[in-house]
Amino acid sequence: MNLNEKARSLLTRNQHLLTSVCLSAFLLLVAAFRAPQLFSSSGIGSAIIVLAPLVLASLAVTPIVLAGRGGVDLSVGPLLGFLNVTLVAWLVEYGYSSPTYVIVYLVGIGVLYQIIIATIIIYVRVSPIIVTLSAYLVLTGVNLVILDRPSGVAPEWMFDWGNGATVFSPVFFVLCGMIVLWAIFSRTAFYQQILLTGGEERMAFASGVNTVGARFGAHAVAGVYTAMAALCYTALIGSGDPTQGSTYTLSAITAVVLGGTSLAGGRGGGLGSILGSICIYLISYVLATFNFGTVSGFVTQMSTGVVLVMSLLVNSAISRPAGETK
Amino acid sequence: MIMFNYLKDTPTIQKISINRSVLFGIGLLIFLSIAGTLLVPQFGSYANIRSMLLLAAFLGLASLGQTLCALLGGLDMSIPYVIGSSNILLAALLNWGVPWLPACLIVLIGGLAVGILNGVLSFRIQGQSLIMTMGVGLAVVGACQILISTGSVYGGTVLGTVPQWLRDVSSIAGTTFGLPIPPIVIIWIVVAAIVVTAMAKTSFGRSFYAVGGNRLAASRILISEYRMWLIAYAISGGMSALTGMALLGFSGGGFVGVGDPYLFTTIAAVVIGGTSLMGGWGGYGSTIVGTLVLTFLTTLLVGLGLSYAMQQAVFGLLIIPIVAFYARDRSIGDQI
Repeated sequence: MNLNEKARSLLTRNQHLLTSVCLSAFLLLVAAFRAPQLFSSSGIGSAIIVLAPLVLASLAVTPIVLAGRGGVDLSVGPLLGFLNVTLVAWLVEYGYSSPTYVIVYLVGIGVLYQIIIATIIIYVRVSPIIVTLSAYLVLTGVNLVILDRPSGVAPEWMFDWGNGATVFSPVFFVLCGMIVLWAIFSRTAFYQQILLTGGEERMAFASGVNTVGARFGAHAVAGVYTAMAALCYTALIGSGDPTQGSTYTLSAITAVVLGGTSLAGGRGGGLGSILGSICIYLISYVLATFNFGTVSGFVTQMSTGVVLVMSLLVNSAISRPAGETK
Repeated sequence: MIMFNYLKDTPTIQKISINRSVLFGIGLLIFLSIAGTLLVPQFGSYANIRSMLLLAAFLGLASLGQTLCALLGGLDMSIPYVIGSSNILLAALLNWGVPWLPACLIVLIGGLAVGILNGVLSFRIQGQSLIMTMGVGLAVVGACQILISTGSVYGGTVLGTVPQWLRDVSSIAGTTFGLPIPPIVIIWIVVAAIVVTAMAKTSFGRSFYAVGGNRLAASRILISEYRMWLIAYAISGGMSALTGMALLGFSGGGFVGVGDPYLFTTIAAVVIGGTSLMGGWGGYGSTIVGTLVLTFLTTLLVGLGLSYAMQQAVFGLLIIPIVAFYARDRSIGDQI
């Protein structure tokens, strides 16, 4: 393979990134003109602190979406909230707040939860949207029962995580570690099996791909990333909040879609989700530099909607191979 | 999903499945009524039944479009946003002195337009209709709020007087021609009767099942998939606008968040009723049963003193077993 072909194949494989790359470049440019403090050490530091939970939550949704069958984890936000609330209300309250306990607990519960969800989807054979929608409702209710209003404190060792004065905060290292893990994960044969399962499940099954295993694995990975998202989220707000976690469902799915991953499954990747999250952050950051007064929240809402629709249209236009019907 | 076995079996499976889900739903309704009467004082009183019917009417009207979209294998997530937008838009138009008839028409046409936009944009990427309609909904509700609250200090709420006739249409004390039933309930019953008959008896109604069941077969008998898809989303947008306007009469003031509960409850009503999200199975009759089940259940839970959060949790816990009972997908091994 000569260099030209190599470059072309690289381009074809990463077509889905086109929208998010262009959009984030454009937004960075606007930010550079309107609010250059973003590029200072503290600007980047606080951006990372705010971005980390969203990036990790969108990476959690990604494998489930890639594994297809219309699988979208609507419950990622409430699960993040559940982990945050129980961490504050149970672990810290009863003194099990050392880093080891916390991380083992978060990852353990995250993976266990996702395995239960995967079992229902695979063996009870109820469509993933219905299962995760039910889980959304259940967890949203349970979170409010555990903690009826924002309260509590994060573990002590996390106190200085949330100030974001410098780039190299602990959250930065957690985020980088998880992204490196993702890079390794996406080069495994197992990841290929998830893609195959999502692309054409019957064909994958008939060709000997362990589709059940791939789907379980995708959910387990999602559990790990949701756990880390919950860790960074707790660091960000420094307490427990029963309701705000749920808002991550919409923004994580939006990030995944902006990143060019198809909700129909089998196409896309983690890098897109990361870029998509950055776009979401930059949209509200850039819009905040304009003076919209009372309507600023609505402008953000409208822009998110418009960007979402545009990116779906662009992605469906560029990434549909000839002859594909759906 | 073009398999000979599947094709041959479909009519029987469909019939049994629909009957089973509707019968199950009705059984659940009877159970809930008995439980309610025993556990909650006043559950069987006329005032309570009237209020349950009123709430069911809002949900039922909002779920009509969701049912049609689900029959084609799509979803409409813009419903809560269109309800909220039309709610505040109508309040604002009336505030600005627009007469009621043009105001209602503007809102209704707006709803239809948003629905058609949803249909046009999501047709090519049907697998992603969930997020596409969500995007359109966000854009619409954002734009509506900007339009209304520019120059006002109350973002998202519109204060003002709601005309008396609109209050009468959808308030609990409303009467229809002297009958002590709110008119919106009568409207729902009429709409339901028309839709159920049309879906069962007319070729237009059957076309939804044809497209949802097998797109290739439908196109072979000259049913335009695109046309049905647009109509389903247009109806969904129009009905959402109607629900939003009716809710203005119910609450007495414009509030954009009024649609929020309808994001998940319309889907819950559809799936609890027994309509498959994969398309082709179910119908509005099933959704009516689903709507009544949800409303009875909510009233029972409220009567038992459960908070809103716990009601949601109970809904969530019930949905999976109910759906698993009659709407399981086929295993991958059987699909080959």
